[in-house]
Amino acid sequence: MRETVAVARFGARLLWRDKVALSTSVALSLGLGIFLPLMMHKLGVSGGLRVHLGLLAMIVTISAFQQTVITLTARRDQLILKRMRATGLGDGAILAGEIVNVAAQALAVMLAITATLLLAGVIEPPAQPVLVVLILALGALALAVLGAAYTLAVPRAELAAVLAMPFFLLGGVGAGGFGPLTELLPGWITQVLHWLPNVAFADLLEQAHTGAGGYLPPLARLAVFVAVAVLAIRLRFRWEPRRT
Amino acid sequence: MTAITVRDLRKSYGGFEAVRGVSFDVAAGEIFALLGRNGAGKTTTVELLAGFQRPDGGQVRVLGHDPVKDRRRVRQACGILLQEAGFFPDLTAAQTVEAWRAFTPAARPAGEALELAGLGEKAGTKVRQLSGGEKRRLDLALALLGRPEVLFLDEPTTGMDPAARQATWQVVRDLAADGTAVLLTTHYLEEAQQLARSLAILDRGELVTSGGMAETLAGGSGRVSFEAPPGVGPEDLPLPVTLEGGRMLCRTQDPDLAAQELVGWAAARGLRLRGLEVRTASLEELFLEVGGDA
Repeated sequence: MRETVAVARFGARLLWRDKVALSTSVALSLGLGIFLPLMMHKLGVSGGLRVHLGLLAMIVTISAFQQTVITLTARRDQLILKRMRATGLGDGAILAGEIVNVAAQALAVMLAITATLLLAGVIEPPAQPVLVVLILALGALALAVLGAAYTLAVPRAELAAVLAMPFFLLGGVGAGGFGPLTELLPGWITQVLHWLPNVAFADLLEQAHTGAGGYLPPLARLAVFVAVAVLAIRLRFRWEPRRT
Repeated sequence: MTAITVRDLRKSYGGFEAVRGVSFDVAAGEIFALLGRNGAGKTTTVELLAGFQRPDGGQVRVLGHDPVKDRRRVRQACGILLQEAGFFPDLTAAQTVEAWRAFTPAARPAGEALELAGLGEKAGTKVRQLSGGEKRRLDLALALLGRPEVLFLDEPTTGMDPAARQATWQVVRDLAADGTAVLLTTHYLEEAQQLARSLAILDRGELVTSGGMAETLAGGSGRVSFEAPPGVGPEDLPLPVTLEGGRMLCRTQDPDLAAQELVGWAAARGLRLRGLEVRTASLEELFLEVGGDA
């Protein structure tokens, strides 16, 4: 645990020194999550809770999933993960530290967005506020774990952002971040999008906001993804660039 | 006490056999040089010993532990200076060492590690502004942070100036004198000869020679050379001799005995062997003799 915290703290320090990462992960997320709903609200075209939750699904994809992919592939290609493994740190502590750091940043961003929109009266107070916070934390962690697993599919760090981007767009469509686009799509596409982990995250949040209580189906969808990701990490995680 | 034991170690990448049945031991307090040309399997061997890769066959023990199964225990007792590993370019040398202290149990103070590596004056310099040799010294500072019982040094002085190289050698000697087992790979054969008490030479993944430095060098061909006396050809001499650049050269297992015989032969004929040189094989000559070409 001490090692995981040490890695997470170090990662946080590096993130706050990195202006590019801050602008893409934090500033873009805050801009997207706060100013777009505020502007729509002022124009009287507020999409309501589902647009807010859809935007959060997109933001968790940028700030947790994509940021983890970018961070880990960069550290892998620069042989920094290899150097970290040369210390007494366990492999699990290195990965967990990186994941916890990114997830914590993503959680802070999403909490700031939710709080701002609540104070501005853009969204109604949630029925289950504690659960909302817990689901935000759970979603950030889950998407960061998925990001770590997705590095297996990313050959080079330069491709990390590009290869993570489709999940941002698909999550936005499936979770309603772009408005009710799913109503215009064929049913089977909606069904496929429904299975995306960031859409499951938005569905979970919706239950906590409305107090409807149907947590199990979206939680199960998210859990399946996380279980597969953890297995992939354990079996195939690449700590170094390919030799061939 | 044996710190590192390697028995019949094997590792392949696809169809390429990088390490083929390598065996050797390194004792506590010993500096052991692992030599070979590029692609001979040195770095792969070091990475197998440090637990970065899993061997395909054979056995490795570091301080009695399997470096793959007991990786954390092995790593906590080892310092590893990798041939290639990255830094965060925007951190200073001191910030880098300080960050790594958080990952290293019972770490030395950052200042001590930097001074030990000869980088005290560059503590406040960003890594991106350090020269290649200075980055290598920062590598060394990180490898020494945890007061290792076993130190893996993969090309430790690449890019260093002669003064820094000498200082690094002294650090390595001091560590070995305190009981640290050091496994050194280097292309600088003078470095290996200066530092190591024993050595192994790899060629295409196989061990072609190994043993104590002095005994191994003594087993290689020594040489006796002198300026060719006027009117004397190689065929006139009592021992097999070649003419190289105006000098007669006799390669032999026992250069002292050969010199005595040649001097006696010359004296009997009233000749003088000008510029006479008698010496045992250098490590470079031994290296070339057994098939390497550093």
